Amino acid sequence: MKIGFRVWILIIAIILSVLAIKPSFESGIVVKSVEANSEIFNSGLKTGEIIKSVNNVEIETKEEYANQIDKLLSDGIEKRIDITTDKGSYTLFTNKVPEITIENIPKTKIATGLDLRGGSRALVEADEKLSNEQLQDLIEVSRNRFNVYGLSDVQIKGITDLEGNKFMLVEVAGASPQDLQTLIGQQGKFEAKIANQTVFVGGKDINDVCRNDASCAAVTNCFDDAEGSFCNFAFTIFLTADAARKHADVTDKIEIDTSGQYLTERLFLYVDDEEVDSLLISSNLKGQLTSEISIQGSGQGATRDDALKDARANMNRLQTILITGSLPYKLNIVKLDSISPTLGGNFVYLILLAGAASIIVVSFIIFIRYRKIKASLALLMTSFSELLIILGFAALIKWNLDLPSIAGILATIGTGVDQQIVILDEATKEKTLSIKQRIKKALFVIVTAYLTSLFALLPLWWAAAGLFKGFAFTTILGITIGVLITRPAFAEIIGRIEN
Amino acid sequence: MEEENKNWYDKSYKLLLIIPAVLLIFCLVYLYGFVQDSGDIIKKDVTLTGGTSISVFTKDFDIKNVENSLKTEFPDLKIREINDFRSGKTIGFFIETKADAEPIKNALEKYLGYELNQENSSIEFTGETISSGFYKQMRNAIIIAFVLMSLVVFLVFRTFVPSLAVILSAFADIVMTITLVDILGMEVSIAGIIAFLMLIGYSVDTDILLTSRLIKRNEGSVNERIWGAFKTGMTMTLTSIAAVAVSLFIIYNFSETLRQIFTILLIGLGFDIFNTWITNASILKLYVERKGEGYK
Repeated sequence: MKIGFRVWILIIAIILSVLAIKPSFESGIVVKSVEANSEIFNSGLKTGEIIKSVNNVEIETKEEYANQIDKLLSDGIEKRIDITTDKGSYTLFTNKVPEITIENIPKTKIATGLDLRGGSRALVEADEKLSNEQLQDLIEVSRNRFNVYGLSDVQIKGITDLEGNKFMLVEVAGASPQDLQTLIGQQGKFEAKIANQTVFVGGKDINDVCRNDASCAAVTNCFDDAEGSFCNFAFTIFLTADAARKHADVTDKIEIDTSGQYLTERLFLYVDDEEVDSLLISSNLKGQLTSEISIQGSGQGATRDDALKDARANMNRLQTILITGSLPYKLNIVKLDSISPTLGGNFVYLILLAGAASIIVVSFIIFIRYRKIKASLALLMTSFSELLIILGFAALIKWNLDLPSIAGILATIGTGVDQQIVILDEATKEKTLSIKQRIKKALFVIVTAYLTSLFALLPLWWAAAGLFKGFAFTTILGITIGVLITRPAFAEIIGRIEN
Repeated sequence: MEEENKNWYDKSYKLLLIIPAVLLIFCLVYLYGFVQDSGDIIKKDVTLTGGTSISVFTKDFDIKNVENSLKTEFPDLKIREINDFRSGKTIGFFIETKADAEPIKNALEKYLGYELNQENSSIEFTGETISSGFYKQMRNAIIIAFVLMSLVVFLVFRTFVPSLAVILSAFADIVMTITLVDILGMEVSIAGIIAFLMLIGYSVDTDILLTSRLIKRNEGSVNERIWGAFKTGMTMTLTSIAAVAVSLFIIYNFSETLRQIFTILLIGLGFDIFNTWITNASILKLYVERKGEGYK
């Protein structure tokens, strides 16, 4: 059978889509991020490398990696760890879990959205109207906070909705909602006050903050009592010259207490106007130009381990806002979702099952109605190729397929089948007209239906802070592919079958 | 048989119009009453009123027990099981309340005796102000979509009555679907509103097909053309209904979001059969026969 140019376009589109989806049969785990300045970072391992083995034990899944690392480090003694990747070998000596995040090698380039992959999502609004520049600033500061905090798989977007409200949408794969709340829900205004005078603030008054260095940032001690376990932490910060002078000026006016060891006023630490801790000031600091200040805090939990984890997390949060400074306005988290990855796989399976079952039922109906095996098969093949091209395009532009996007794809395939039925029916009747004329009539119906759907979907792009953009996107993409590629090709195939 | 049908159809198609007219008036009156009573055209769930929904993944629970122990503190609480279609087993439960995330999470953790984290649960919270904002915008999106769709129909057909018939039947689809959704007591989520938007697309497809066959063609009698369009259109709608029904069955106890989208679509597609082939077809037949009385 001769193949016309419309079918050629379809074939080329299918090939390009398969290339874009790029199914992979490779096993192994890929490095998603490496924490800056960690030991493994200094060894040279980079994001994107594929880990093949750890200490000569082959690694194929995330679980195998975690087991192997656990096994090596279970006794807490410093060990030599050899990591072999597709790019090279890296050796480190450590008793800590390497500071990297890993993923199984994805089977395809199709990216799934947060509601399938799991993670946390927050929609954040400022308590005043933001300009576009302010929104950009907010996004920058937030991104910086995530980086400093050590989360890398973060997507931050500015959104303007139908009413002109501006939001920041943050999606994080590996963070808890608590992390999100403190990292972006907080204005992050850090103030240190003595006798009600601000001595220094987070960000601009601070030259450096000690992190990842046990000599100046660590959990200092832990203890248990009836209510659970508690751990204290301390880390050093370095003030700018101006802030150090301010510190000297303020402390100079304060009396030394009766013991002679400390000043009568304490150093109070506030985050967003809430007191987080107060520290005694040693008497020898009085009036001194000190640039080094020790910041302390604590964590708690039901067990010693929990308390230790909590203290470390609190320390990291405090360090983060001290480094990144504060925002000039308050933020409200107006929507906060935490989605478990547990159901994701199940979900994909059910959606595929629903899709396959629908297609089988539809083909059954089509076959009963037309009793033409060739035409019915052509219809099914066209629907499948439409699906493939939508997925290919989504993979190409790295669109995250979330639930609304998938609902959109299902809707498109549904209307696609409908329109193919129009072509099939037009082609098989009214034999007084030439097949070309008949198909032209079918295409009129299809283009009109396309235009109505296209315009009906446009408002959804901006509505509800763009949460349903995915639906609008896949549907518009799908019907456009339909009208430009698959419908013409199907018409050509049917035309040939009928001739 | 076909001949008989047509004769019967010729006699009664005008009378048939009374059915959708009465039904539409009933629906509009019902919805008017509904708005008077509840202040809105639909009953909204927590994604539109603000509140929290939590899915807990556990095999170890008694749904009545969970409900009873939380009901006093959260009287508006709704709970149902989550089932896995593959094994048919219960894999957790889903609760919904207008309360903020923290109080319900804490109460639930106290009841379960362990902490809820991303391994064992999903928690979604939407603030009250933002939800009502979302609702307003989604409603406006539907209205704008409807207006744009109408404009396209007018521009393409350029005749008043047939264009109006398409728009009227899409309008009737949506009004009747909303009415049934209200009668069934369904609480519509933000995703459910999407289903109404999808309905606009699905419902005008068959109307456009019918209209173009009737007013853009002149082969065959009006009845033959309607009958031809009916055969095509019914295949279209039935395949859609079959696909949606199968998907609904598979997803039923798993995803609240998709369940609602598919349920609303199913109801809407049912009304679409009625409105396309009774409302729209009768109006068009009336229009074509009046216009073409001279050469019939």
